[in-house]
Amino acid sequence: MTSAAIRLEQVTKTFDSRVVAVDAVTLDIAAGEFFSLLGPSGCGKTTSLRIIAGFEHPDSGRVHVGGRDITDLPVHRRDMGMVFQSYALFPHRTVAENVAFGLRMREVPKSEIARRVQAALSQVALTGLEDRKPSQLSGGQQQRVALARALVVEPPVLLCDEPLGALDRKLRQQMQFELKELQKRLGVTLVFVTHDQEEALAMSDRIAVMNKGRVEQVGSPTEIYERPRTRFVADFIGEINILEEAGVARALRPEKIRLMPPGGARLAGKVETANYLGGSTLLRVRAADGRSMLVRETHVGERASRAPGDAVGLTWNDHDAVALEG
Amino acid sequence: MSATRNKRPLDAGHAAYLALNALLLTFLLAPIAIVLVFALNPTPYISFPPVGVSLRWFGKFFAGTEFMNALWLSLWVASVVLVLSILIGGACALALARGNLPGRAFLTAFFMSPLMLPAILTGLALFQAYLLSGIGRPVWGLILAHTLVAVPYVIRTTLAVLHNFDRRIEEAAAVLGASPARVFFEVTLPLIRPGVFAGGVFAFIVSFDQFPVSLFLVVPKGETLPVVLFNYMKFDLDGAIAAASMVSILLALSVVLVLERLIGLKAYVKL
Amino acid sequence: MVARNTISRRQALRTGAGLAAIAAIGAPSILHAQTRTLKITTWGGKWGEVMKGTVLPAFEKEFKCTVSADQAFPFVPKLQASPKNDPIYDVLHTNSNEQWNSFTEGLVMEKITAKEVPNVADVYPWAASDKIVGVAIFTSAIGLGFRTDKGLTKPTSWKDLADPKLAGARGGYIIPVNSLGQCHLMMLGKVYGKGLTDLDAAYKALEALKPIKLVDFTGQMEKMLLSGEVSMGVIHDSGVYRYEGPNMQPVDFASPSEGVMALEQVLNVTPGSKVKDLAFGYIDYMLRPDVQKMLAEAVWYSPANKKVKLDAKYDEKLLTTPAKVATLIQPDWKWYNARKEDIDARVTKILKG
Repeated sequence: MTSAAIRLEQVTKTFDSRVVAVDAVTLDIAAGEFFSLLGPSGCGKTTSLRIIAGFEHPDSGRVHVGGRDITDLPVHRRDMGMVFQSYALFPHRTVAENVAFGLRMREVPKSEIARRVQAALSQVALTGLEDRKPSQLSGGQQQRVALARALVVEPPVLLCDEPLGALDRKLRQQMQFELKELQKRLGVTLVFVTHDQEEALAMSDRIAVMNKGRVEQVGSPTEIYERPRTRFVADFIGEINILEEAGVARALRPEKIRLMPPGGARLAGKVETANYLGGSTLLRVRAADGRSMLVRETHVGERASRAPGDAVGLTWNDHDAVALEG
Repeated sequence: MSATRNKRPLDAGHAAYLALNALLLTFLLAPIAIVLVFALNPTPYISFPPVGVSLRWFGKFFAGTEFMNALWLSLWVASVVLVLSILIGGACALALARGNLPGRAFLTAFFMSPLMLPAILTGLALFQAYLLSGIGRPVWGLILAHTLVAVPYVIRTTLAVLHNFDRRIEEAAAVLGASPARVFFEVTLPLIRPGVFAGGVFAFIVSFDQFPVSLFLVVPKGETLPVVLFNYMKFDLDGAIAAASMVSILLALSVVLVLERLIGLKAYVKL
Repeated sequence: MVARNTISRRQALRTGAGLAAIAAIGAPSILHAQTRTLKITTWGGKWGEVMKGTVLPAFEKEFKCTVSADQAFPFVPKLQASPKNDPIYDVLHTNSNEQWNSFTEGLVMEKITAKEVPNVADVYPWAASDKIVGVAIFTSAIGLGFRTDKGLTKPTSWKDLADPKLAGARGGYIIPVNSLGQCHLMMLGKVYGKGLTDLDAAYKALEALKPIKLVDFTGQMEKMLLSGEVSMGVIHDSGVYRYEGPNMQPVDFASPSEGVMALEQVLNVTPGSKVKDLAFGYIDYMLRPDVQKMLAEAVWYSPANKKVKLDAKYDEKLLTTPAKVATLIQPDWKWYNARKEDIDARVTKILKG
């Protein structure tokens, strides 16, 4: 399967001439990359995806796929695959007919359609369900049909709009693995829209964190997590302590803080609450100067060593407190 | 599997619920039952208890050329109205739901307005308009008038389906390479079809039973069945009226059943 | 599923084509431009049968024209709504009170005289009296219909309807919508008060008739008498006499001593008619003794033409002599229609309780 690089160049989209959904966004997505657009609702991630798909036409800026400017190309000529949050299966058609749809539109010979539909269904482990209607399938099965339908046409680009959002947690984790594995095997360029930071961190090669129509930071999951560039990114991904020191804001992850006796610590305080999380406990510590700090204590024994009311000291390495822009 | 079944105690609420259901059914079916008794009773007036069973009124109805002409005219008009209102109403509903038209709320109200106006006024207004413009009262004028009052039903039912319509389904088809025309015929149309045809059934019945709009618009020897029945009733109030009513009811019912069979209204109701 | 739907669609199309074919056959034929068309209104029922079966074809043949006969009510509103210079009817056939309404609005002529319609010279005075606009061609007598099997003596007075024995078994009309009901109300004024226009006496008498079964069509009163739902009711003679033969029920008609009210069948011409000569010709034709006889005997109407000789059975019961005609009381519709709204409001209030 071929894959294609995607380039968004200064793309802007405004709705109702008031709300700026996407604001001068420039992105370079490499061929074969698993690329996530991450952000809260209304940040412009879905609109960006819909601009790539062709559902929305940007007010300004260009979209390139595989080195070709496709900004003015209608949706049905873009040769992409897409998976929707609601799956958007054709309710009046069977599973096999759903999967065959894209091939039919491409006027692939009938015998080949049958063969490729079978192959696609077996790829997502749905063999035997060809004649079911979507309403007769479980959510996970529908998800797989949507995936098979998108992939059967061997698109160079696969767009996913919160495809796992409607699944329960367990199934969702399983599908995360499967999707990632499938993407690597096929080598398709995958643009993945999600508001779930854990999902983005787990699956992506790179992530673009978006806020208010702008890209705040692009980087690998590690970069995004360990080296957030802005206060928004630091805050949106995981738990964070923001330290204001000499007019500079610094972000410090709770797990980077070590507990010690109060004497000689960088900060002394008292444990207010302790949230048991299984593998770790998240402590809220009220420092003597009134600041509230989050500290993650990874369990060595069965449980955390500190309980609410305990006096503790906190310390950390300077390089773990990342300076933020702005 | 073989666990003993819990018998639900018959409480007052449940009993009231059943009684209400029975009452409603009686309310709905009693008129039809009365008409049937009248139609089968050989006397030319309603006598109760009926003195016998006879098909003489059905015979009179089917032998009456006026009745038969009117019946065929009504069926024909209603069929054309069915087709026209599906086309017009379906298109209007799509435009209203999808067109991003300015003043959509106003347009929706506008298209629905034939339902708000008393039908007798619609008929009278069209009658005057036709006569003043020198058109006279051709059959197509009657058909247009019926279509006017039938279209809102198709718009309503189609809008209802479109309202629940997940547009992502159309987008999915487009991404998969379907041109806008193919999206419409492959996805949109099959999915809104139950709504359109449900409206079409209404349209047929609205036209077939239409009296107030027709009243002014029918011409001598070109009267629809409800008008003929109304006028017949003023002079001969006999069982032929009841027989005609039974035939009307059965015809309307069979049209619904035939459409259900042909198009499978039920098949797609669950979207 | 897919295959079934494909076939279904084709079947549906075929059905559509079939219906279109029916349409082509069923559509009204276009009339020849050369033949003149006379547009009239006429009644349905037995009257309509005789008109369409015999009278109109003969007229068309003799006058070399086409008659378009509208049997579909409401005639007057249709006439009202059509352009005055190109009215939808040339001849309007209605009962007398509707003619008065139409005349007030300028929709019909005031008088039809022997000058335009020669046969008017031969009609009884009632048919061309000052209570008539246009000319009357027939009349019915409004009196009392009663069951002969309920131990009732034949009524001789309008007051007999108030007999307490008849409570709930007497029949009347929803006065605002029925001419017979309106005639009855005027008659109550005459019988219980100072005359036809004594409304106060009429209202009082009407109140005393409760409980009373009310209908809006005359036909419904006929059926209520036939089925025995009422034992006595206000009705026109034709509505009783026409149920002769095998369907005869123990029902008879009585002419009260105070007189019977006239329910005239009136013809009139619209001033804007483009075929006035034909319209007058039609009225003259309808007044011909042979046509009058045929229609009178078909529906038991008393003919307007004095020269008509009916068969004995009809002659005996209908108003065919000057003496019998003298019992006929003609309502003043001009007077009544002028205060109809007030009367409607009042009687509705009385009969509602």
